[in-house]
Amino acid sequence: MAASVRVRFYATARLATGTAQVELPVPGQGISARDLLSELAREYPKLRRVLGASRFLRNDRYLTDLAERLAPGDQFAVHPPYGGG
Amino acid sequence: MSVRLGPRALSLARAYAELTGPGLGGIVLFAGRVRPDRVAGARVRALDYEVDRTVALERLRAIETTARRRFGAERTVLWHRSGSVAAGEVAVIVGAACAHRDPAFRAARYLIEELKRSVPIWKEVLAPPARRRRRRPARPAAR
Repeated sequence: MAASVRVRFYATARLATGTAQVELPVPGQGISARDLLSELAREYPKLRRVLGASRFLRNDRYLTDLAERLAPGDQFAVHPPYGGG
Repeated sequence: MSVRLGPRALSLARAYAELTGPGLGGIVLFAGRVRPDRVAGARVRALDYEVDRTVALERLRAIETTARRRFGAERTVLWHRSGSVAAGEVAVIVGAACAHRDPAFRAARYLIEELKRSVPIWKEVLAPPARRRRRRPARPAAR
């Protein structure tokens, strides 16, 4: 089975991609969050605008540095601005 | 300390019961309801709340902990619905109980503002499709 990162999309990110999650193939040594976002923007052009306003999580932890690397098997989430209440 | 995130209806009476206790003279409760606003010509029927449950629960607990430490709230309630919530129903309840009113008001305000700012919950409007308006025939030009 190819190495991959599971990416989950919420709210406007889900609407822009048309899916709640995808498995994105990544190299065995992993991929930086920045490079992963570039791949997502290439794959889903409508997502670009959403990404600019979103927060990102790796394994349920907010990313503070897009240079952080994701390893195969990690989970990545795209959180557009929140709107509870 | 009470955190809830799920599809079940929320009860203000139950929230109040969670907040009562000896020495707690100031209790503030806030309920947020779904408004039957008009959006693009159609009346809002419901809001659909989507959540990232794992992260949302963690954030809700962290907000409660901070409210207790910062404002001295002895009891707190932080409840939010997920899934479809019909117009007129309560979608969120926050509450704080302190010895006196001032910290209770400030704690409750903090709870709802932090919830809206930092908890991964999103809402989508569910409305019936807007009716098409019939075009009136053009009036003859005035002479």
